[in-house]
Amino acid sequence: MPEIFIDGHRYEFEGDHKVLQFIQDLGKEVPFFCYHPSMTAPANCRQCMVKAGQYMKDRETGEYEVDENGERVIRWFPKLQTSCNLMAADGMVILTQETDELVQRAQKDNLELILINHPLDCPICDQAGECPLQIQTYKYGPEGSRFEVKKVHKPKRIQLGPRVVLDAERCINCTRCTRFTQEISKTDQLTITSRGDKNYPTTAPGREFDDPYSLNTVDICPVGALTSADFRFKARVWEMNQTPSIDITNGKGTNIDLWTRDNLILRVTPRFNAEVNDHWMPDAGREAYKIFNENRISRPQQKLDGEQILSSWNNAIATLSEEIAATDNSKIVVIASPHASVEENYALSKYTNLLGLNQPVFTPHIEEGTGDDFLLSDDVAPNANGCRLLGFTELDKASIKKEIKKAELVVILHDNLIDREVIAADDLKEKFVVVFATNNSDTSKAADLVIPITTAAEHAASYVNVDGRIQRTYRAKETKYTERRLDLEMSEGRLDRYGTNFDNWVTEDNKIDCLPVWKFINRISEHSGLECNFNDGREIMDEIASTLDSFTGVSYAAMDEQAGIQLSIKKETSTSK
Amino acid sequence: MSTVDWKNYTPVLLPDIKDLHKIDVYIKNGGYKALKSVLTDKKSWDGPKAVIEEVKSANIRGRGGAGFNAGLKWSFMPPADGGPRYLACNGDESEPGTFKDRKIFEYNPHVFIEGALIAAYAMEITTIYVYIRGEYKTYIDMVENAIADAYNKGYIGKNIFGSDFSVDFYVHSGAGAYICGEETSMLESLEGKRGYPRVKPPFPAQKGLWGRPTTINNVETLSHVTGVINNGAEWFSGIGAKTHPGPVLYGISGHVNNPGVYELPSGIPVLDLIEIAGGMRNGKKLKAVIPGGSSTPILRADQLDGITMDSDSLRTVGSMLGTAGMVVMDEDTDIVDVLWRISHFYHHESCGQCTPCREGTGWLEKILLKIKNGDGEVRDLDLLLDVTTQMEGRTICALADAAAWPVRFTINRFRDEFEARCKKKSHAVA
Ligand SMILES: Cc1cc2nc3c(=O)[nH]c(=O)nc-3n(C[C@H](O)[C@H](O)[C@H](O)COP(=O)(O)O)c2cc1C
Ligand code: SF4
Ligand code: SF4
Ligand code: SF4
Ligand code: FES
Repeated sequence: MPEIFIDGHRYEFEGDHKVLQFIQDLGKEVPFFCYHPSMTAPANCRQCMVKAGQYMKDRETGEYEVDENGERVIRWFPKLQTSCNLMAADGMVILTQETDELVQRAQKDNLELILINHPLDCPICDQAGECPLQIQTYKYGPEGSRFEVKKVHKPKRIQLGPRVVLDAERCINCTRCTRFTQEISKTDQLTITSRGDKNYPTTAPGREFDDPYSLNTVDICPVGALTSADFRFKARVWEMNQTPSIDITNGKGTNIDLWTRDNLILRVTPRFNAEVNDHWMPDAGREAYKIFNENRISRPQQKLDGEQILSSWNNAIATLSEEIAATDNSKIVVIASPHASVEENYALSKYTNLLGLNQPVFTPHIEEGTGDDFLLSDDVAPNANGCRLLGFTELDKASIKKEIKKAELVVILHDNLIDREVIAADDLKEKFVVVFATNNSDTSKAADLVIPITTAAEHAASYVNVDGRIQRTYRAKETKYTERRLDLEMSEGRLDRYGTNFDNWVTEDNKIDCLPVWKFINRISEHSGLECNFNDGREIMDEIASTLDSFTGVSYAAMDEQAGIQLSIKKETSTSK
Repeated sequence: MSTVDWKNYTPVLLPDIKDLHKIDVYIKNGGYKALKSVLTDKKSWDGPKAVIEEVKSANIRGRGGAGFNAGLKWSFMPPADGGPRYLACNGDESEPGTFKDRKIFEYNPHVFIEGALIAAYAMEITTIYVYIRGEYKTYIDMVENAIADAYNKGYIGKNIFGSDFSVDFYVHSGAGAYICGEETSMLESLEGKRGYPRVKPPFPAQKGLWGRPTTINNVETLSHVTGVINNGAEWFSGIGAKTHPGPVLYGISGHVNNPGVYELPSGIPVLDLIEIAGGMRNGKKLKAVIPGGSSTPILRADQLDGITMDSDSLRTVGSMLGTAGMVVMDEDTDIVDVLWRISHFYHHESCGQCTPCREGTGWLEKILLKIKNGDGEVRDLDLLLDVTTQMEGRTICALADAAAWPVRFTINRFRDEFEARCKKKSHAVA
């Protein structure tokens, strides 16, 4: 097998490897800016320099040549090489900054040069705290600068498009953003303008950077040159906590991170998943953070004389139990939801089964024209396939309407059927309507009883995407009934890790009075003397996996390990585009 | 050192023939014979490989600056696979001090066109582009006319001279960027993109224009091919300096009486060349020479004794032949000003792609401006030298080197003049 020698250690490899990527995959480091694993390598930042050479081999014997001291003979490249575009070769010798002074020197020199015209706005720069330039300068940069002449000034606060703002002075001209629009989103909206130290990225004259994937450039910009018009100046990165999650605004199931401060989600960024979304996400999904914060339903609501008023959990439980008891089973319809997780749908259906009700029905949420050939599907609900795999009856809009017409008690799980025009408010007249909902909507307003439930940011639960991949969320923010310091599922905040007093996790602010669907099911079944005892999503999934063939082998541990699990779905039921 | 007999040399690229740019005049003077010969004289030319071999042994060293053997470069082209293959002729000519290719465009475009066609045949090329700097509007028009005439005569196009060799020839005009003369940047520009040099590997012979095999040659280099085919490799390699043979278009500018382009053998003594150009203006004394375009290291007058215009001789005093565009400077020349002006050029022309060049060229210029204005300190000179070290050999293309060398060598060779311009060391009062 081919071998390569890096800083004196021998490694075997197979196939094609860029030296920089190979070193990173070993868990080692070479500083870099312009390289991105999913794009071409222009080798323009010149930061990733290494010393490279080749052990000489005897042509005839294929053995390494040795000199009079028995040392292998190395032929060095005459110049230092950029490791991002250098391909690993058999017998290659690489020295990084760890072992070679010239490499150290070159990397330091390069950082001095990058910084001579850099504004050093760190105190007011959104990138500070997650800035490769800042980090690498601390690690590999010079102590100070010898630059005593005037810096170049370039335009600042340029609104490149509706969502992205450019500070050209901070730009280090790595071309990651322009390459993104050329190679990934394929809109070719960005290019570099001007020459030399005056250049910066821009759009064609009169054009906007309105690429539906534009905000990815903010993520990959290695400095604070590109910022999100929405997020800029809202929070310092170290004030927030980062929790893995799934984009619930589309069926594609893009992997994301949620960034939380004071129990508010402040931004959404893509999380790498080679099988689903690589490093990217659509701009549309980033807006979603607002649904976790704004217009939330807190505390159950009940209609009294045609007006919804705040109620209590005990009242809500009693009311729903009484309504179920008072209604003929055949007059009750339970509508499950492609917008709710597998666990929520399962918990509800288990309860209705115990009651002897019909299997829940559901209707997928398709918005024609939403899909593209990248990361958006026409199916805008995160879990239609989950409903199918749970064995729920799939109905089209008209059939759902018919079912509702026949019923006297309508239970709707987390699906804004009125808002998305499956039914009209009038269709619910003269019926007792129970809605499990996260946010106020026309649908929740039409309900006689509203049960506030947790969002994907407040529970750990699973969703099966349009391609049949089951993936899960984690708890990213507290509710009135959760306590992060007692909750091992929650990712660590600053207080957990460092014990500082500036941690913004420990606040009572912005906690919503809501329950996971299964916790509500526990309480109502107890009230009606039935046996439902769900602890958390993890245990529910274990129960599902042991009872339903289609979920065999699924567990939170397995999903975490494999970044989601591919389930087998029947082709005709998949709406993948 | 053998002396080159330049007094009896008869020019071949720029001979004294009236209206040679007209195709009929060119044909009357033996034009397109070489092309016809390689295409039809199967006895003398056993296919394209034979042409490459002949050019290789002539040792035409690239006249674009790097001095690489043209035939050897051609032999790097992979075997033809039926797909498109390109020859990109470099007429961007933007290095300060260089103005020779335009003489070919103006006085003898067909010798270049014929040479390019022969090169195309030798490398089985399907399309030729000549990239000419946009400022040469007049010459662009002239070359376009010449190409149209050659098309009309059937020397370009389908089945040239009844052979199965077909090729197209296009003129592409630049838009004012020096960097588009760098060969891979030129390819990007030809593709309609921003002129950013490409990282190598892959080399153009493997993946050039639109990802296809491509060779890039300077216009003068290709023009010499015609003579090599007509007169043989030995004729060419017998002219001028042994290791860097053939006729050279010397572009002489600066403080001489008759600046201009002179076609003479390679290897002429530098001091003779100044005499050929009419000697020093106003009888002034020679101070310095930049031998081959602004990026080649400057030489002091006292370094020039016995030095000839070829790469080996110039290397002994730490310079290069480059494009043979020689800038002559007399005793009144302000070297600090000259260096600042050169640095200004490279700062202005850096494409900005790589960090050391983008940032370094500006830094160099700004420090030099400070020194020029009398605000510099001696430590700034050492800083300048440090910055050149931070640039050299660490970038994608050679522009950073071209920007760094003049600074390094001018300061080293005229340090006293720079120091004299610096402020006397002032001790800060605590
Ligand atoms: C910054 C830069 C500018 C250049 N400009 C020119 C030019 O204007 N004309 C030219 O022929 N070669 C130029 N070159 C050299 C070309 O890259 C290339 O080496 C040459 O065209 C090859 O032709 P040759 O082998 O026939 O010399 C330039 C190189 C660099 C690095
Ligand atoms: S981009 Fe990085 S180094 Fe530059 S100002 Fe912002 S945080 Fe500081
Ligand atoms: S804006 Fe950012 S991503 Fe784009 S070139 Fe500049 S530094 Fe790179
Ligand atoms: S060395 Fe200068 S001109 Fe050449 S690619 Fe780099 S930045 Fe551009
Ligand atoms: S990461 Fe290698 S040059 Fe930028």
